[in-house]
Amino acid sequence: MCLATSCSKEDYEPVFYNNPEASINIPIGFPEVNNSYYTNIPTKYGVELGKKLFHEKRLSADNTISCASCHIQSNAFADNNAQAIGIEGRIGLRNTPPIQNLAFMRFYNWDGSKLQLESQPIVPIITHEEMDSSIIESIGKIQNDVSYLELFQKTFGDEEITPERIYNSIAQYEYTLISANSKYDKVMRNEGESFTENEAQGYQLFQEKCSSCHSTELFTDQSFRNIGFPINPDSNEAGRARITGIDADYMSFRVPSLRNVEYTAPYGSFGQFETLIDILDYFDEGVLDANNLDPIFKNNGNRIPLTEQEKAFLISFMKTLSDTDFIDQ
Amino acid sequence: MKNYLLLAAISIAFISCSNDDSFPVANNVTLEFQNTFGENTIVLGGESSSLASVNTSEAGQAHRFAELKYVISNIRLIKKDGSEIPYNINDLDNGATVIDHSKPETLNYVLSNIPSDEYKQIKFGLGIRSDLNTLDEVSFPEFYNNAGANDTEMMWEWGTGYRFTKIEGFYDTDNKEMSIHTGSTIEDGEGGHVQGVDAYRDITLDLSTNAIVGNSAPKITIKADFDKLLSGNSYTITLSSGSGMNDNATPNIHTAVEMEKFVDNLGGNSSNDFVGMFSVINVEN
Repeated sequence: MCLATSCSKEDYEPVFYNNPEASINIPIGFPEVNNSYYTNIPTKYGVELGKKLFHEKRLSADNTISCASCHIQSNAFADNNAQAIGIEGRIGLRNTPPIQNLAFMRFYNWDGSKLQLESQPIVPIITHEEMDSSIIESIGKIQNDVSYLELFQKTFGDEEITPERIYNSIAQYEYTLISANSKYDKVMRNEGESFTENEAQGYQLFQEKCSSCHSTELFTDQSFRNIGFPINPDSNEAGRARITGIDADYMSFRVPSLRNVEYTAPYGSFGQFETLIDILDYFDEGVLDANNLDPIFKNNGNRIPLTEQEKAFLISFMKTLSDTDFIDQ
Repeated sequence: MKNYLLLAAISIAFISCSNDDSFPVANNVTLEFQNTFGENTIVLGGESSSLASVNTSEAGQAHRFAELKYVISNIRLIKKDGSEIPYNINDLDNGATVIDHSKPETLNYVLSNIPSDEYKQIKFGLGIRSDLNTLDEVSFPEFYNNAGANDTEMMWEWGTGYRFTKIEGFYDTDNKEMSIHTGSTIEDGEGGHVQGVDAYRDITLDLSTNAIVGNSAPKITIKADFDKLLSGNSYTITLSSGSGMNDNATPNIHTAVEMEKFVDNLGGNSSNDFVGMFSVINVEN
């Protein structure tokens, strides 16, 4: 016993890898990054490990679903289902949110239940309608996989697989998913592109009618609002009120970013709207009333009046937020 | 052969060791939970059950339970001299339990190795303190697995915390469904920003007779009177069904302020009510 130990000690040569910070370009004009980013700064191997885990189906109970099953790159890391679909075809409560520019967000999930990206990955892993597994079960499935052991070694200096390391590396990968190279961005950066006449009209209208909520370079002010969309009949749904216990948050959801909105249909917290024109029609016709309906609607007869021409202009503009580099990278 | 002998010797050594360290059974304290409507122990049952206990609230609504579970943790016994003996208060595997009315074995929770002394008071939590309410499977695998089991379902996956109470049942003459779940949604963010609701409630109960630990193994019988759910010290609640903001009979009760009303009724409001639905029936020494 003692001999064996000495032997292996002589054979053991620890390998140290240089694991530099990943190169991340923070786009000009974006909001400050979330504080927790600084406690979990992406590294070369951390991002590589996170990407591998993001695509790891063994995180689900029956090894059929990974993060990437619902967060599909060609859909700006969302998907085209009304509500997310987990193992065994189980239907989730809400529409899959796109994974983009998360480093700059203050709230995660449609109800803002998580305030730090690192505390988010456990949720889909354990949720019955998503992966329905547990973190110990997940670790058990990958702990003898040499490719993982090597990446944990390279990232953290040893092979130990812990829940925190899994969550942190997935977050590191997600921090690198930055979309800031759409036609809109190129126009704003004066890189030689310019809006068409329709797009320019749309941009003008957008600033008049949309940008009080879809503001900043993220195209969301990250506030939570009830804008009178059709209500999810699932009795577990209450919007942000489920988290805060505040009446005014009832059926309120985080204002979605409009970046890459062309790729993320259907729309709404449970996919109520199949197309962008459906949403604009709904705004034009009038939304559902509620005590806590957002003042922007409440003070304007519960609607945003739009002509057919205006709707077309707005959609032309919204499509300039499509970032083909992001969905192909 | 030598190995067997060695093993045997080691086992004996361990057994002796643990015997030396442990307290006698007389240092056990049993907590027995009696779940009642008023003075009567609850009988669970479905909407067509003729045996299920039917209770009527102050607001006049008849109601019955098909399922009744809650979490007890953070148990402390207070000695006659006022000093506090915490019982594995930071260890959910050894200091917390799910009381499940359908499983009689869960109604008695045995505290072991309590120092010999006289005790005048007990404190415990209904639910789990925020610092431990993180679904930490690595630190507390036993509690995690028990709470997450299919026949227990005491987890809020979306809130990465445990359910503190889970009551399923029926109300009104037409037996509408009621489904009342409580739990915390506290989340710390940037710059000290905290969001969410803390549904943990700390309970303090004076013992009717001092519990004498050391000579005998006392049993403290605690009543949990679920009549208080709708007719509590804090609120008189009328149940309503539907998907509106104030409809509180379905799981969306954990929206808005509705959940907190149930929490205050069951576990006290933390300002002038520290008993909620609980009381000590008796202490057997």
